[in-house]
Amino acid sequence: MKQSNIRNFCIIAHIDHGKSTLADRFIQICGGLELREMQAQVLDNNPIERERGITIKAQAVSLEYKARNGEVYQLNLIDTPGHVDFSYEVSRSLASCEGALLVVDASQGVEAQSVANCYTALELNLDVLPVLNKVDLHNAEPERVAKEIEDVIGIPAQDALRISAKTGLNVPDVLEAVIANLPPPKGIEDAPLQALIVDSWFDNYLGVVSLVRVINGRIRKGQKMRVMSTGKDYEITSLGVHTPKRVFKDALETGEVGFLIAGIKDIFGAPVGDTLTDPSRPCAEQLPGFKKVQPRVFAGMFPIDADDFEDFRESLSKLRLNDSALQYEPENSTALGFGFRVGFLGMLHMEIVQERLEREYDINMITTAPSVVYEITGTDGEIRKIDNPAELPEGSEFEDIREPIINCRVLMPPDYVGPVMQLCMEKRGTQRNLKYFGNQVQMEVEMPMGEVVLDFFDRLKSVSRGYASFEYEFLRFQEAPLVKLDVLVNGDKVDALATIVHRDAAYARGRDLCERMQELIPRQMFDVAIQAAIGSKIIARSTVKAMRKNVLAKCYGGDISRKKKLLEKQKEGKKRMKQVGAVEIPQEAFLAVLGVERKSSKAD
Amino acid sequence: MNPAPPPLEAACIPLSLYLHFPWCVRKCPYCDFNSHALRGDVPESAYIDALLRDLAFDLDQHPDLPQRPIRSIFMGGGTPSLFSGRALGGLLAALSQRLSFADDIEITLEANPGTIDEAHFADYRMAGINRLSIGVQSMDAAQLKRLGRIHDPDAVRSAVAVARRAGFDNLNLDLMFALPEQTPEQADADLAAALALEPEHLSYYQLTLEPNTEFAARPPPLPADDEAWTMQQQGLQRLAAAGFARYEVSAYARSGRQARHNLNYWRFGDYLGLGAGAHAKLSGSAGVRRRARHKHPKAYLDTAGSAEMIQEDRIVSAGELVFEFCMNALRLDAGFGWDEFEQRTGLPSSVLRAALAGPAAQAMVVADDTGLRPTPLGLQHLNTLLTTLL
Repeated sequence: MKQSNIRNFCIIAHIDHGKSTLADRFIQICGGLELREMQAQVLDNNPIERERGITIKAQAVSLEYKARNGEVYQLNLIDTPGHVDFSYEVSRSLASCEGALLVVDASQGVEAQSVANCYTALELNLDVLPVLNKVDLHNAEPERVAKEIEDVIGIPAQDALRISAKTGLNVPDVLEAVIANLPPPKGIEDAPLQALIVDSWFDNYLGVVSLVRVINGRIRKGQKMRVMSTGKDYEITSLGVHTPKRVFKDALETGEVGFLIAGIKDIFGAPVGDTLTDPSRPCAEQLPGFKKVQPRVFAGMFPIDADDFEDFRESLSKLRLNDSALQYEPENSTALGFGFRVGFLGMLHMEIVQERLEREYDINMITTAPSVVYEITGTDGEIRKIDNPAELPEGSEFEDIREPIINCRVLMPPDYVGPVMQLCMEKRGTQRNLKYFGNQVQMEVEMPMGEVVLDFFDRLKSVSRGYASFEYEFLRFQEAPLVKLDVLVNGDKVDALATIVHRDAAYARGRDLCERMQELIPRQMFDVAIQAAIGSKIIARSTVKAMRKNVLAKCYGGDISRKKKLLEKQKEGKKRMKQVGAVEIPQEAFLAVLGVERKSSKAD
Repeated sequence: MNPAPPPLEAACIPLSLYLHFPWCVRKCPYCDFNSHALRGDVPESAYIDALLRDLAFDLDQHPDLPQRPIRSIFMGGGTPSLFSGRALGGLLAALSQRLSFADDIEITLEANPGTIDEAHFADYRMAGINRLSIGVQSMDAAQLKRLGRIHDPDAVRSAVAVARRAGFDNLNLDLMFALPEQTPEQADADLAAALALEPEHLSYYQLTLEPNTEFAARPPPLPADDEAWTMQQQGLQRLAAAGFARYEVSAYARSGRQARHNLNYWRFGDYLGLGAGAHAKLSGSAGVRRRARHKHPKAYLDTAGSAEMIQEDRIVSAGELVFEFCMNALRLDAGFGWDEFEQRTGLPSSVLRAALAGPAAQAMVVADDTGLRPTPLGLQHLNTLLTTLL
């Protein structure tokens, strides 16, 4: 396909604003799938993505579109994740496009994460085309929302297309606008090959598959290619595009987006953001690539049955093949035995990893409360990173401790400014900026990240009745009077329950924690004492009273198998519990510090 | 994978007989036993014939049965006292011709205080029945009503008096505690009223909501755990003061009056089970075999004596044997001897010792050279221990 007839674009949208429905419409219009093959949300392949309605990994479909001017165009739609945890994936998707559609729900208005993604797109010099979706809803206010887009994001939106992806209203006009208003790629066709690895994943049947964007030159099946960062050469065994069906091709031309397979053993052989070239005619330089992401949230993960440790290790390494952001190293807890300290991009990432380990790998495990990374300066002047609260030395053994501070941008209707501000203050936030844009208010707050991982997201949703959205970026490490809050169960310190808290909040936190643990730990054969302590000082306590008895009242010769089933049910209930000393502690108790019960936070 | 269970020498293992009578005047809301509300008359002779055909089927398959003495018979239900003394007498006589009854055989009949009259009881005694288990449940009129019973406290008093006059010197009363909205004081009064009837044996158990009962579907307000515990503790004291020692989780008896039939279940003895939905356990060269008959009276009557009456038939695997043995034998205060375990399961006692080596078992059982018994804590938390054996 000649470059002037290619358009590479992505869709920026908040969850439920209709991105997937719109993408499905595009596929339908371009005949990528027969109607009977359409499965709702074609692009979200992973069952977890489909269930939660979120996108985790970048995907791409190549559509052939016959425009009203009679010409045939190749439209490459690169899907983007919308959650802040996966913003690095967004920048990857954006880097392979020349334009973006900003899809906004005309009844709801713009939302923080879309704003942030839109800024990223503009920084990367993409042309952004706003689209107002769901205009069929009775409470749609396209005029107001168009104004909001202009105010908040600063791009013209008065002429934005008014569409309904659900009914199909004006959807063909969107494709026409993509052709008319988004630029084609401008690569040099006869230059040496230069292609960007947008994503790589491990497929059990094909090995490593890479999604690539050809910047200059072309790439042919059977040719050798060089991964520039490693200098290693591979032969390309096959390549092609997804329509979304997998279609093999002989070549990818300048400006095209497609997948390739080259017999690479693991995804570290085809690093995301790397540049591919032709070893016989290499290009002069590497493409800028992507900023490497650092995990910001850490949690311990321990198999409930110690015998499962090796299986667990293998599962993590398999998972990592498709998730290069996942980091882990072995951890040994006195209370929980051998496990791993796992680093995540954020809370949603953590939940997803946990869910995949359980579902796809059938690992029964305990996850400890997530912690951010702290920095301490030892008495010897040495600076250390602490990603596990249990490893924080006693107060006298370090000079100072610093916590990560993030800059949060919260976007909400004006009615909720009061409660949201109050919540941010409670979380030790410092307000930096407050801007009113018609029906939306943008608040910028600096907050300790440790407070945000606790329960900020759930609380924000609850104080704003779901209307507030937020996104954040890391700012700096900042000194703070932080202490380690230990939890003792029947007199023994449980390292996996330790947390790092602000000194002023320690007493209240300790009390809350003891109360919640009392509710979450089931009654056992004996009284269980729960204590919160700072150093050697006990600051709060509670007791789980002993269960008096647990025995079948009646058992005669008759129906052994029915009674047995009853006991099997009891045993099943213990699966999610870990024996710590003589006490059985359920998974929820290890997360008690998170406060409000974490429901699956639909947070795209 | 479960290894095949070891062969067992049946001749050494005590044998009992259970007879099930599936009809009741009406079904109680808490009851999960195989019982069916009666419509019309009890098909007395048809059912007795069916029981005998049922036995013939067992005898055909296990020719060794007549050589094994029957230590006890229990006629349970349902409400077996809906059957006449004459019918039960005929049944027992026919059974004694086909099986060898031990000289000191215990023959218990479950009796509903609402179905009893003087002539009946004398006939039962004449038929050879020497123990009655009376379903009292409560001595409080309001509670009895709530429990859906067909009798009142006075009916219990007169049933006991009638039983004594008929010559029964071995009576059990079934009594429940932790009844809907019951206070510990009320439970204590209930127990005192039952003890005033001077039974030889008392089954004193906590009301629990069983699946597939009316109470499970619409749970009544039951006392909290701590209150139920208080009731049991004060009950234990009152029973001890009255000369009743606990020998099983919910069973109390005067000296020498323990229920032989129930003890056989708890000691993992063998038993034949005849009648609708009756369960049997028989040891043999293939290990322990469990069988159950068709539950529904009509299906049972139609199939009794043929292979179709068997609804469930399985050999207990070696792995399950340890669990099933403990599920029964650890209910006994006195526990059991290692020799008993080895004889009834065919497994070396080391298997059980290994299974109980975990920390959970430590405070719950005491082992010595002769055997194993539960601690008071273990007796109260038997389920916790048993789940570790699953």
